[in-house]
This record gives sequence, C-alpha cells and structure tokens, in this order.
Amino acid sequence: MTTDSALLRAEAAARARSAQTRKTIRSAINYAVMIGLAFFFAFPIVIMLVSSFKPDEQIAGDMRSLYAFIPRNITTENYSCADYDLATSDCSPTPGENPGLFERLPFGRIYFNSVFVTASIVIGGLLVNSMAAFALARLNFPGKKLLLTAVIAMIIIPFEALAVPLLLQVNSFPWIDGSSTWINSYQVQIFPFMADAFSIFLFYQFFIGIPKDFDEAARVDGANIFTIYWRIIVPLSLPVFATVAILQALTHWGSFLWPLMATRGFEFQPLPVAMRVFFGQAPRQWGDIMAFASLATVPVLILFLLFQRWFVQSVASAGVKG
Amino acid sequence: MKVSRVLLGLLLVALFILPMTASAQPAEISVFFHSGRGSERDALDTIITNFNDSQSDYVAVATELPEGSYTDAVNAAALSGDLPCLLDFDGPTLYSFAWRGYLLPIDSYVSDDLKADILPSIIDQGSYNDHLYSLGVFDSGLALWANREMLEAAGVRIPTGLDDVWTLDEFDAALAALKEANPDNFILDLKMNYGEGEWFTYGFAPILQSFGGDLIDRSTYESAEGVLNGEAAVAAMTWLQGLFDKGYATSTPPDDNEFINGNAALSWVGHWEYNRYATELGDNLVLISMPDFGQGAATGMGSWNWGITNQCESPDGAWALLDFMLEPEQMTIMTDANGAVPSRISVLDADERYAEGGPLNIFVQQLQNGVAVPRPQTPAYPVITSEFAKMISEISSGADVQTALDNAVDAIDADISANDGYPSM
Amino acid sequence: MTLNLRTSSAQRNERMAAYLFLLPAALLLIVFSLIPFLSALRLSFTNQPLVPQLLPDGTQRSADFIGFDNYSDLLRVQLVTLEPELGDDGQPQRDDNGDLVYPRARTILRGSDQYEGMSELTQFDLFGTRYLVAASDPTWWRSLFNVFTFVIIVVPVQTSFALALAMLVNQKIRASNFFRTVYFAPVVTSMAIVSVIWFFLYNPDQGFINNFLSIFRIGPFQWLDHPASAMLSIILMSIWQGVGFQMIIFLAGLQEIPENLYEASALDGANAVQQFRFVTLPSLRNTTIFVAISTTILAFKLFVQVDVMTFGRGGPEDATITPILHLVNEGFRGSQRVGYASAIAVVFLLLVLAISLVQRRVLTQKEA
Repeated sequence: MTTDSALLRAEAAARARSAQTRKTIRSAINYAVMIGLAFFFAFPIVIMLVSSFKPDEQIAGDMRSLYAFIPRNITTENYSCADYDLATSDCSPTPGENPGLFERLPFGRIYFNSVFVTASIVIGGLLVNSMAAFALARLNFPGKKLLLTAVIAMIIIPFEALAVPLLLQVNSFPWIDGSSTWINSYQVQIFPFMADAFSIFLFYQFFIGIPKDFDEAARVDGANIFTIYWRIIVPLSLPVFATVAILQALTHWGSFLWPLMATRGFEFQPLPVAMRVFFGQAPRQWGDIMAFASLATVPVLILFLLFQRWFVQSVASAGVKG
Repeated sequence: MKVSRVLLGLLLVALFILPMTASAQPAEISVFFHSGRGSERDALDTIITNFNDSQSDYVAVATELPEGSYTDAVNAAALSGDLPCLLDFDGPTLYSFAWRGYLLPIDSYVSDDLKADILPSIIDQGSYNDHLYSLGVFDSGLALWANREMLEAAGVRIPTGLDDVWTLDEFDAALAALKEANPDNFILDLKMNYGEGEWFTYGFAPILQSFGGDLIDRSTYESAEGVLNGEAAVAAMTWLQGLFDKGYATSTPPDDNEFINGNAALSWVGHWEYNRYATELGDNLVLISMPDFGQGAATGMGSWNWGITNQCESPDGAWALLDFMLEPEQMTIMTDANGAVPSRISVLDADERYAEGGPLNIFVQQLQNGVAVPRPQTPAYPVITSEFAKMISEISSGADVQTALDNAVDAIDADISANDGYPSM
Repeated sequence: MTLNLRTSSAQRNERMAAYLFLLPAALLLIVFSLIPFLSALRLSFTNQPLVPQLLPDGTQRSADFIGFDNYSDLLRVQLVTLEPELGDDGQPQRDDNGDLVYPRARTILRGSDQYEGMSELTQFDLFGTRYLVAASDPTWWRSLFNVFTFVIIVVPVQTSFALALAMLVNQKIRASNFFRTVYFAPVVTSMAIVSVIWFFLYNPDQGFINNFLSIFRIGPFQWLDHPASAMLSIILMSIWQGVGFQMIIFLAGLQEIPENLYEASALDGANAVQQFRFVTLPSLRNTTIFVAISTTILAFKLFVQVDVMTFGRGGPEDATITPILHLVNEGFRGSQRVGYASAIAVVFLLLVLAISLVQRRVLTQKEA
C-alpha cells in the first residue's frame, strides 16, 4: 500500500515536473522567437549605426563576419566637420581624410528643409482639416452628405498618380516674393499636402462622438460658432489631434516622389530625396551614406522612444476608429 | 482683422523686396554646375572667385546641383523658366537642349585664335545644326588603369602605346591569367557601382564600337535598328556579359574601392580616378590604352561642357565667364584637380602629365589618333543613353543579350518617331 | 428645446460658418487634387511634353490634341498565332530536346505593318499551338503584373504577420514592451533612407544577408540582381518597414477584446487554437478589414523603394517596374511625355478606385 501511494506521489510529482518543464520549454521557445524577430527588425539599423563610425574602406569587408555589429577602428571621419559655416551649412574638408558627409553636402540645410516642411504640413494640416471636419460633424448646411462622401472617396485617390500634371500646374503659380513659379521652393512642398482627406475623416469620427449638449449649452450662453470650435471642441479632442499629427508627420518625413520632381539641388530638398541623390553620386562612400542614414533616423527614433505611449496610442486609435 | 493685417504686411514686404533685387549691381551671372567629386567642386569655386575678383562688371553666382540627378534638375529649371545664364552639360545632353531652343549659339563670341587652340573633339562636341553651342574646359580619357605588380605576377604583357594594344584574344587570355592568379577576386573593376548617370554609355559604348556596332545609325540619326542590335552589337555585349559570367567582374561591387584595395588588377575607368589611384598605387599604377576588339580600338571622349541659355539677360557676361574659365591658368586649376585632358592645345602641350612619356599621355594619343569616338550628336541622346544604360544593367545581371538590345532599339526608335525624327526649327 | 429656439437667421449664420470652416480645406483639395485630376484627363488627350520646344519667335510650341492615341499606345494588345519554323524538308523543325522551333517574335512583329510599334509581352502554349501576346507598351502590363504580385503577397502576409506579432507582444511576459518597441522601430524610419541600407545589405557578393544565410548553408541569392528574386527582395524589405504599424493596430484591437470571452471559452474546453479561431479572429474583424484595405491602397502606390533600389529602372528586366514608376519614367524622366504619363495616371486611378470599391463591397458583404 505504502509503496503504491509512494509511486502515485512520485508519478504526480513527475507529471508536475514535466508540466513545469513543458512550460519552461514553451517559454524558452517563445523568447527565442521574439529575440529572433527582434534581430530581424533591428539588424539593419544596428549595422547602419555601427558602420557609420568605421572608415569607408572597411565597411563592406566587415559584412563577412560578426564585425558587422562590432565597432572597430572607430573613426568620426564620416561625421567630421571643420569650420562649420552656419550660413551656407558648409564645412571645409579636413586635410588628409576622406571628405565626410558634412563636407560633401549641406546636411544642416537639408535637415532643416525636412523639419520645416514636415512641421508646416502638420501644423497647417491640423487647423485646416479639423476645421473642415468640425463643419461636417457639427454644423448643418445643405450639401453636407455629398461633401462627406466626396471626402471619403478622396481617401482612395493616390496623390502619386497626379504628380506629373500637378507639376505643370504649380509651375505657373505665382508667389508673394514675386516669382512666377512654385518649382523649387518650400511652398510647393507644403500646400499640396495640408488638406488631407484621411485626416478630415479621423477628425470627423472623433468630433461626431462628442455629445451635442456641449455646444448647445455654449450656444445658449451666446458663444459663437468659432468659440465653440476653439474653446470646446479642440480642447476635448487633443487625442485625435495627436493621432493626426503623428500620422501626418510620419508620412511627410518620408516624402519622396513629389520633392524629387518639384525641387532641384539641396537648397530645398528634404532628407529622403537628398539621400537618393547622394546615393547615386560617385564615389559611393558607404561611411558617409551610413552617417547620413544614422543622422536622419536616430533623432526620430529618440523622439519615438520618448513619446512611445503617444505614438502607439495614436497609431492604434487610427485603426480602431477607422 | 488680423488676417488682413498679415496680408498687408506681406504685401509691403513683397513691394519692398522686389525693387531691391531688381536694382542689384553689377549684373549677376547665374551658373549651374554639376557637383561631382569634391576636388572638381573646389576648383570651380576657386575659378568663380577668381572671376569675380578679376573684374567689376559681373558677379557670377554658382549653384551646384548633384550629378546623379543633374539632368532632371536642369529640365525642371527649363520647365519653370529659371535656367541660369551659364550651365554645364554632361557630353551630348546639350543637343536636346539646343534642339528645343533653350541654348544660344556662341559662334560670334569665339575668336578664330581661340577656336584654333581648342581640341577638335571639343569643337565637335559643341556643334549642332551648323552652330557652336558649347565649349568645355577639358576633354576626357577612358582607358585601363592597371596594377603593374599583379599583371607581372600573372605574366601578362603590358602594352605601352597605341601600336601594341591588346587584341581581343590577348585581352581574354590576360583576364584568364589574372583570374587564375587571383581566383577569389573580381580582377576587372568596371565601376558598375556608378549605377546611374552617364557612365554606362560613356564606358561601354566603346566596346560596341570596337566590335563594329554603334548606338544609332549615324547616317540618318533616325533609327538604331540593325546597329545597336546587329550581329556586331550582339557579339560585343555577349563578350561583356561573359566578363560577369566568368567571374572576372561583378555587376554588384559593394563599394568604390576594388582597385585601390588590391582586389582588382585592372580598372576600366576614366581620367577622373588619376589622382586617387596615383596616390594609392604610386609607381605600381600603369595606364593602358583600350584593347582592339576587331574593328580598331575605340574609347570615349567628350565631357562636361558649358552653354549659354536663352533665358540669360546678359549673354555677354556669361561669355566673359566662360572665356575666363578657358584661360590657361584657370583651366589648369580644374585639370590639375580632376586629371582631365585640358581642352586647349597650348595648355595641353605645357602639361607634363600629358607630354610624351608622361603618365597620362595615352589619353592624348587616343584623342589625336581617332581612337576616341564622339557620342551621337542628336536630340534623342538622353533617351539613347538611358536605354543603353538600362540594357547594360540588364545584361550584367544575366538577361538575354539579343532581347535586351532589341528592347533598347525599340525604345529609342519609339522616342525618335514620337518626336517626328526631331526636325530642327 | 434649444433647437426650437433657433431662428432662421441663426440657421443662416450656421450655414455661413460651415462654409467658412470648410473653405481652406476645400480650396486646397480643389487646387491640389481635383484640378490636377481634371488636367490629367485633358493632358491625356494631347502630346504635351514636359519642357516644350521653343519656336524661333520665342513662344512655346503648343501641344496637339491627339484623341485616344495615348490610351491606345498604353493599352493596345494583340494575340498572334506563331507557326513553327519549317525545315528544308517542309516539316516543322525541332531542337535537340525535340521541342518545336518558333521564329523570333520580333521577326514576326517587325515583318508586318499591322504590328507597328508593338513588342513581345509574353508567349504561351495552348492546345499545342504557340501564341504570342504583343503589346504596344509591354512595360505597362508588366508593371501591373508586378504590382498585383506585390499586393497579393504583401497584403495577406503582412496582415497575418502583424497579427502574429501583436499576439506575441500582447503576452503578459517580461520585456514585452521592449520587443514591441523594437518591432515598431522601422516604422519611424523613412523608406528612401532604409532602402539604401537594404540595398547594401542585399549585395550578393559581400552583403550581410548572404553572409548571414551562409551560416545556415542557405543561398547565396542574387536578391535585387535577378529577375526572379528582385520583387521578393522589395517585398521583404517593405514588410520589414511597414509591419510594425499594423502590429500596433492589431494590438489595440486585441486589448479591446473582453477577457471574459476567453474565460468563457476556456470553461467550454476550448484550446488555444480554438480560442484564436472562435474568439480572437471574430473580435478583430473590423480591425482586419481596416488593415487589409489600407495596406492594399498603400501597396498599389509602390514606388519609393523600387526607385531607390533599382536606380529608377525597375529592373532587372522590368521585374520590379510599377505603374507609378512607369508613370514617372514616362512623364518626368527620359522622353518626358506628360500626355502619355497623364493617360497612365487616369487608367491607374480608375483601376485603384474600382479595386477599392470591389474590396469594400466584398469585405462588408460578409457581414450581412
């Protein structure tokens, strides 16, 4: 009897142990898969960063081994910049070194172009699109249904297809500085993207969910419509403003086709177009290219890490609402 | 209220700025130029500064545009009507601009003395439709840079001039010997990493021509049929494809350093690598004239050249600047920086590098002995070069040669017929 | 109550305000979307070049109205029956493998005026007969084929991969936040810039990816340098860059599923797979529809990575050409035929519109 119960107990213990082992194994596999995926998503970025601190001649050769991930013969020559000239965003080359990124192109100016254009589109877009959505969601006027359908239909229209005719069109637009064309300017990169059907739609979805009582009460108190928009709706809608801002910023930070066609030279070109040009320019020095890519990527990554919660919530709500 | 005040402010600013720019003195000469390697760019900056210091009638203001997308940028400027006074073109792209009417003929500016001192190849390159439209500060040289030690180690004969260039068989044997001696290396650096721009046409059309083919039928300039896809062209491009198949060259070099890091024994590239190669290889560097693939050796010629646009308000000033660039001292600043062949015979004669026995003398011999072949003088050139480059990129990654050539011919012929054969106005 | 107090003047005020609020966006959309669409329509019937020729009197040569020529140049397709080559004996010739020998397509197409301007698109055998499909713009049809391939692979793969990632990072385990961050990181990079990095990693001779795979004795692959693998290379890097975005959307969807649904199904004895099949998937229906539709629209516009990684050629052998790249090459680069590019734009727009409508129909019908 005792031996039997001892056996049973041993069996149960063994079963528990094996369940425990199975759990451990499953958890190990789980982590292995997640680490493998993390490697898949991170390796290009890590290689980019590490390579940007290597001499140009070494980068390709290091891809044969683990050295792809290990900094050795660390150099800052790809980032070097002597006598930086703020006005022209130019550096004179350091004697005896391969010319680095800053010595080969006005990187500061290009960076500014990207930041300025993206910020202008985002800020202008928030205003313009939320105003339109406000009218569609909370005001009564004839033709409202039709306009709403038009906005939803426009979400599908790929801007890319219209770029060539639009190029001819903006070519003959005047601007306040007296020039008779928009080609090669900031305005040509900003205004076509300010109004955005998808942004209007996101705002509309949010605004329509705010209870009508809020503005009715304000109206009774004599508030005009602009006040309702500015003092009531906007403060209540900060999450959707963040969503639209982040989605628009992500899209236009990567803006490529349109500035490729509508700008020339680094005076107005944003980072992605400048990268395409720089990449196509002989001699192709990978050290400089990696430095370019790192500088274009790392600040955004840092911003993303700092505001991760916002980022994630914003992207998430775009989907849930849509 | 606020809005109207802002508008008023903007209006005032506009009114204020406009007269300011209009009344600027002295006359501004706007310049576009391609920014290639750093040294070329610095040389041009120096020349522009020298010009501005040398006189007070004009101020030259240069805008550099990246080489990779230079033609796109110039087209965009033509579209928006803000072409500069003076701009440079990569070789034959100027014919399409001249045909479309955006360039001024410069015949009346060029004195007979100056014309007589300029290399005939440069005059040819600048001529279209019986007018001279452009002049270049330098001509180019394309040949084989070789690593002497590697060639000697493989027992390969090193030609010394134009008379003893490699034949096709000899070149094949040399490549085979080099590959055997360095089985793990791509022993021939074809600069496939240049990827886009003019290189593929400039660098590889000479193979086509030495085999007896060409880019277009030059008697009519109306079709590439039978010329770019004829037997000779197929043989030429099949041979070129063989270089990749046999592992002599790679279509995807990881970087620009195959020759200087000692992997490649031969580098098929132009004069512009001279300074870098000479620094890295020293006495080990030797320049070899192009092989003869059957119908006589051929090499590229022509280079960046300057033209004056019809949107220029003071063409005289633009010419003054171009004339200044052609002055021997200024020309030397440029050619010292990029190793190119100076376009004035007097400057060329004075340059030790190009004198007999000099390290770059081969380039001069190629230009003066009919080895160098001009690229086709037709407004269809932009399409010819982009189709040829596409064809090269395809056969280098294994496409069927005849099909790739046929496709190029179809695209070129379609462009010519879409433009009714490019009739001149 | 308050509604009844409204006077007609208040209504008029509201209407005026509404139009004022709409004005900026409406103006911008009209100027930068509607008018370009209309001018694309107009230009598509002309031979407008990008930079017009200047006439001797200094004016620009105006474009000619050419009717539907651009559309027929874009869309014309012809089916040609190929006859096998006959030998000297009058019998069909056979090659060493015993297969029939056919004449070169180009010889046939150049041999008759009726095929003028047409080139080979493809050949196929049907019931023992060889057919040749000739098109006046084979690149266009190839670009459609490519973009459909891209869409058909990317949409399901990326959507299910995103869902899998979302479920992984949704586990209540240590460091799941860290993994979520890493998986999402590529989304905040810009496509043109990471395309250059991937171009470097894909290098067949010395690239990291081939070197890495060789550890597992896989490869080497030619990646971007071979027609068979070029589009797959584009697809792989596109998924790498984009999947994190959909992962987050799915993650939000997962977190909205009430926990008690899982508890209830567990009581009913459902295993993990059954829970996924009967709880997770149905709860994520709307999210999945959103992800699938938005990915489809994005995928049709494929341009940046192809332009950067193939130097605008869409090669090798047109293996990665896409409609937008073809449009840019025709209208902005090379021969700069804006009229023709506009025809491409119009056809492409109609196509995308039609597909979106059909997709919406199909996906919402299931609900009913």
